[in-house]
Amino acid sequence: MTKKISLSLAFGLLLLFLSGCGIWGQQTSNASENESDNNSTDLVELDPDNPTTITFYTYSLAVPTMKEGMEQLINDFNDTVGKEKGVIVEPVADPNYQQYRADITAGKDVDVIQHTFGTLDASRLNLDFKAYEDVFPAEELEEHLEGISENALQLGVIDNKMYGLAFTFSTPIVFINGGLFEEAGLDPNDPPETWEEVKEYALQIKEKTGKDGFGLEPDNGWVTDSVFFSNGADIMTEDRSEAVFASEKGIEAIEIWKDIYNSGAHATGSTTEVPEQFMAGNLGMYITSTALHSGFKAAAEAGGWELYGAGLPQFGDQPSIPVNSGSALAVRPDSPEKKAATWEFIKYVTGPEGYTTITEQIGYLPLRTDLAEDPNYLQGFVEEHPLYQINLAQLEHIRPATIWPGEVATEASTIFRDAIVEAVSTEADVTKTLKNAEENINILLK
Amino acid sequence: MSNYQSNSIDIAALEPIQAKSKRARKWRLLTKPYIYLAPSLILLWIWMYYPTLSTFVLAFQNWGMVPGTAPTPVGLDNFVRLLSSKDFGISIINTLFYTVGLLPFSIVIPLFLAVATHKMEGKMKNVYRAMFFIPLILAPVSVGAIWRWLFHPTNGLVNDLLLQFGLIDSNIAFFSDPVFAKWLILLITGWKMIGFGTILFSAALTGISKDYYEAISLEGANRFQQFRDLTLPLLSPMIFLVLMMSLLFSSQWTFAYIDILTQGGPFGTSTNIYYEMYKYGFSNMDVGLSAAAALLFFVVFGIIAFVLNNITKKYAFYDN
Repeated sequence: MTKKISLSLAFGLLLLFLSGCGIWGQQTSNASENESDNNSTDLVELDPDNPTTITFYTYSLAVPTMKEGMEQLINDFNDTVGKEKGVIVEPVADPNYQQYRADITAGKDVDVIQHTFGTLDASRLNLDFKAYEDVFPAEELEEHLEGISENALQLGVIDNKMYGLAFTFSTPIVFINGGLFEEAGLDPNDPPETWEEVKEYALQIKEKTGKDGFGLEPDNGWVTDSVFFSNGADIMTEDRSEAVFASEKGIEAIEIWKDIYNSGAHATGSTTEVPEQFMAGNLGMYITSTALHSGFKAAAEAGGWELYGAGLPQFGDQPSIPVNSGSALAVRPDSPEKKAATWEFIKYVTGPEGYTTITEQIGYLPLRTDLAEDPNYLQGFVEEHPLYQINLAQLEHIRPATIWPGEVATEASTIFRDAIVEAVSTEADVTKTLKNAEENINILLK
Repeated sequence: MSNYQSNSIDIAALEPIQAKSKRARKWRLLTKPYIYLAPSLILLWIWMYYPTLSTFVLAFQNWGMVPGTAPTPVGLDNFVRLLSSKDFGISIINTLFYTVGLLPFSIVIPLFLAVATHKMEGKMKNVYRAMFFIPLILAPVSVGAIWRWLFHPTNGLVNDLLLQFGLIDSNIAFFSDPVFAKWLILLITGWKMIGFGTILFSAALTGISKDYYEAISLEGANRFQQFRDLTLPLLSPMIFLVLMMSLLFSSQWTFAYIDILTQGGPFGTSTNIYYEMYKYGFSNMDVGLSAAAALLFFVVFGIIAFVLNNITKKYAFYDN
């Protein structure tokens, strides 16, 4: 008898186990059902009395300096177009780019994602992102994309299809603390143009004020790419099959950076600490994204100093090549209603109203560059904030930051970033460290 | 006639009922323990056994955890990749560093504090114990943020004080320095865990009869001898318990501070095995690699737990 009971108990547990496995099976069948519904790109009519809710995962909402602007953008949509057409956008703050992955894997509805460019290829493969051409009507798409900077649009295109529409966008510039400059006897309207001058200015600031003169965190993760590009070095070959950053030019660029790092006038913190240092008024020059502009401006006003800006420094007489940071919008609608709702939201936030809010309230660049000359939108703002002219001018010779190939993206970018940190901030030999990292990445790529 | 008939029916009907209820009682008797066990068994299955089994299976598969996709079997490939990945070796060395480094904070200091506060009278005893215990119940995220600000390279109090006392000439970026980062994570975790051991040892001390101390002091033992010959042996079961918890949980305790303060950096020098597993699984979306690392450490920690359990049985002294 006891044997029978324990047998039936074991059977029960087995059933439980199988039902656990069953969840996966069910999800698989759901996914394929939805696909058949979704094959056409025609949009269904939405019902304003019975609105469709879509979720929007955004990291800007989790960054203190960007939060307000992002909230305004979403609320503006919900109050105007959303109300009229029947769409409600529910924002989800995603500080570490982890929440959307966790929620997608948990089977939750994740409809629109603010996604960085560097890992877009990996996410597209892993997380079932839809290409715009596959879900939205071709005519409307073409009409909407008109006027958006071609350079920016290309960044979200993989295998000839657009998996991300450029959303927020900026290039790195040199932020300058005018107060420290003047204290050191320098003119903030005459900023350094070359890396050599950067070192000279930084040392002077350190000597006269005791504060660090210059900052570019070795673990910044993207400006590093422009340091390489500006000295004529590449990070990967054009077909992205091989890493080539440990070239003579690449090593030379890092040696120059390291020389400034070791001069005693370079900020030594990490990428979370240096912005705090700059905002506290303890740093003369800082290279980072214009996305931090609104936060820096508030800090400068509170601290009683003027905020200035300059273009990226160049190596000798070669013009500098900035990279872009920022994000694209990736979509994964799973029903006809959501498809139509998603399209309304995308059209609004990447339209003139959306880009105006993003530029004025957050500090990103308007990707519809014409807006900067349009008195209805951004003309007044750009005139008031000359910093944006630097950025808009840089857009012309911009080069996209490295997109590591999908399968190995996170691993390769970690190896690359760690090697830069080690090469710049420690005693380690630059040539050896970079060669080593290049070799390791190339093993991964094979 | 009718009476007789009805009687006979009654009797005939009674017998099977008796037999049935007997069988039912037997059945009930046998199932009862299992029904009592069922809630915990089901919960254990859902939270422990099923995930553990999944880990074993996933360690030999490649999967991005996206609903609608199926894992593909890859054999031992995950283990090969794991052993050749850049930060795996250093994460093991660091796991050892954190595990051993935490022992003073989980055992030596708490033991001293518990004994020192044990003999105190009145309110001060509780005030002191509360002081040791408070760090333990503070949220790791806010604690981490405060430590980060204290050790900020330019705006932080620590650098400011060191500079003012002339101990250093230039600011130190503590969390960007491969040596300081590791030690600070250890110290912060240790500081937080002191209360854990202290509370357990204090509880164990109240269980030791005062008569022993009277007896041993009559024999002329001084305070140190009392501690060595009486307190220590009587606390030994608790010391072994705390030792085991400290060894097995140190990687989890350091996890929060690694994540908040350094994200494993600079260049992977402060990471530990749990943080690597988390990165493999939830940042690289490579659940197979994560499961392979988990499997290896399931075995290693299993062996540690088994060995310690046997040592405890052999050496711990129980006062019945």
